Amino acid sequence: MAKLTIPAQELMYSGHAACPGCGPALAMRLLLKGLGPRTILSIPACCWTVIATPYPTTALGVAVLDNAIEATGASVSGLRAAADAMHLKDVEVVGFAGDGGTADIGLQALSGMLERRTDAIYVMYDNEAYMNTGVQRSGATPQGAWTTTTPVGGGVRGKPEPKKDVMAIVLAHRPAYAATLNPSFPEDFDRKVARARSIEGPRFFHIFAPCPPGWKFDSAETIALGRLATDSGIFPLYEVVDGRLRITRKTGELKPVAEYLAAQGRFRHLGAEETARIQSEVRAEWDRLLRRERDDLSGSH
Amino acid sequence: MIEIRFHGRGGQGTVVASELLAQAAFLDGKIPQSFPFFGVERRGAPVTAFTRIDDRPIRVRTSITRPDVVVVLDPGLLRTTPVTEGLTSGGLLLVNTPRRAEELAAPPGVRRASVDATRIALAHGLGTAMLPIVNTAVLGALARATGVVTLEALARAVEQFVPARPSENRLAARDGYLGVRNADPGAAAPAPAPFAVPAPLDRPEGPVASVSSEVIHTAAWRTFTPVIHLDRCTKCNFCWKFCPDAAIELDADGYPRIRLEYCKGCGICAAECPPKTIEMVAEA
Ligand SMILES: Cc1ncc(C[n+]2csc(CCOP(=O)(O)OP(=O)(O)O)c2C)c(N)n1
Ligand code: SF4
Ligand code: SF4
Ligand code: SF4
Repeated sequence: MAKLTIPAQELMYSGHAACPGCGPALAMRLLLKGLGPRTILSIPACCWTVIATPYPTTALGVAVLDNAIEATGASVSGLRAAADAMHLKDVEVVGFAGDGGTADIGLQALSGMLERRTDAIYVMYDNEAYMNTGVQRSGATPQGAWTTTTPVGGGVRGKPEPKKDVMAIVLAHRPAYAATLNPSFPEDFDRKVARARSIEGPRFFHIFAPCPPGWKFDSAETIALGRLATDSGIFPLYEVVDGRLRITRKTGELKPVAEYLAAQGRFRHLGAEETARIQSEVRAEWDRLLRRERDDLSGSH
Repeated sequence: MIEIRFHGRGGQGTVVASELLAQAAFLDGKIPQSFPFFGVERRGAPVTAFTRIDDRPIRVRTSITRPDVVVVLDPGLLRTTPVTEGLTSGGLLLVNTPRRAEELAAPPGVRRASVDATRIALAHGLGTAMLPIVNTAVLGALARATGVVTLEALARAVEQFVPARPSENRLAARDGYLGVRNADPGAAAPAPAPFAVPAPLDRPEGPVASVSSEVIHTAAWRTFTPVIHLDRCTKCNFCWKFCPDAAIELDADGYPRIRLEYCKGCGICAAECPPKTIEMVAEA
């Protein structure tokens, strides 16, 4: 048999209630492969609560606490304190929340958890809108994207505001580890989970998670779209350990963002000018990352 | 009172169909009620919705278990969902299918009607071949087959309440009205195939979900099925790695096998297979 490049264990079960081709479902599957069975998940209201638990079933082969959407950060601090008080050894406490529950509604709880230096992993799976309630814009929705609350027409061209930079907010708290992960690159994904597990303290994952119905693309394209997101610089892959940033995937020239945008119905209305603006912003951000990586490497940070 | 149960898939406009019918009945001067079954309305997942129509206020608020009419928006559901459950002699089964109504399986004494709503919807540019929006064509057929609403009221309801392409939808309703085919009442219906009744789940004590979701089979969500041509398989396991439903397992020799009870037909495995040895085949 060809050697497996990611763990064989399946802790996410089939029969779950995600849409066909769901990026967050694959994100969870890969995450649990790396985390293993001694994991306690805290999941707030989001698509994943619905995906996992038509009562009395569960699609998750680990302990799960179902919590309020504002409270993921606070709940992982509480779970860690409880695990310590009970002298539970080798358990990983993991918060798993959507972008709405992280970038907007649960931001203060996340900040508190990072500032308390809770020994836990906080995961934001980013499908770039409130999907469970029917595609409302979130702080993490990219500029120009159609959502039901940022419609297109009558002079409105999708979301007017730029995407909130959650990684920058997290990094301002000096976490022990922070990384961007993309299920289209399972080996990079798995290596980052393993790396995070070897480190103690507050850790953060920003996971790219395409949503076929919300972004309006064919369910077969989830993986290809994710690859395009990273290789066009829309979603660069990097990790920050002890404040040092390292880019984990570089392919030479970035692909044009136009290809990424054209693949999704939520960007269909964008014209050449808007595409050019997005292209120059992505380029500038990528150059900034390269500079930061160089500076961190030379120790001038 | 007449009770109508709709069966469709998430994304096909099933819930909208039940609401539009109620709106049309209201415009006809009736007192209607409509609501969906509160479940997982994911794209492709089986969806159920209900409409009641009466001349007097309707007090009952429960799901419809003994319908007078069953409307099936997707013929694939006939194989996977017991759509005729509770339908008895004198009731009506209306199915969107290119087949003749005489071929439809139904309990004894049930009237049968069919309409090729998919063809009608596509002719009017409603939806895509993979996901045609058939609800208005089906409602046209329902209006003719049952007389519960007039075509005029249906057309007005479509104009007022359908957000996208109201005129195409109105034409689809008219074509459905004209295109419905009733089975010869004398023709005996094939009996519905028995459905395996899933074993009752163990209800745990307290609010703890502890039964694996693998008791739930999601095969019914699928409209296309992946078929692996193993002769060209290089055992790279990409298909296994990327399946969001963990519906692919590897055998002892490293060959992939699709667990069809769970595969939702997303097409990722076919798209990602390097030698393109997985084919997506339309469900019959
Ligand atoms: C305080 C509060 N407001 C609103 C809701 C309703 N609600 C349930 S899930 C959800 C969407 C969450 O979006 P996100 O965190 O982005 O996750 P996704 O659904 O996209 O997976 C909302 C708004 C809630 N549960 N609690
Ligand atoms: S709406 Fe999007 S995120 Fe939610 S289950 Fe469906 S594909 Fe996944
Ligand atoms: S079609 Fe989708 S759900 Fe089915 S086996 Fe392939 S990847 Fe898995
Ligand atoms: S992706 Fe294709 S070649 Fe690779 S294991 Fe699957 S079927 Fe075989």
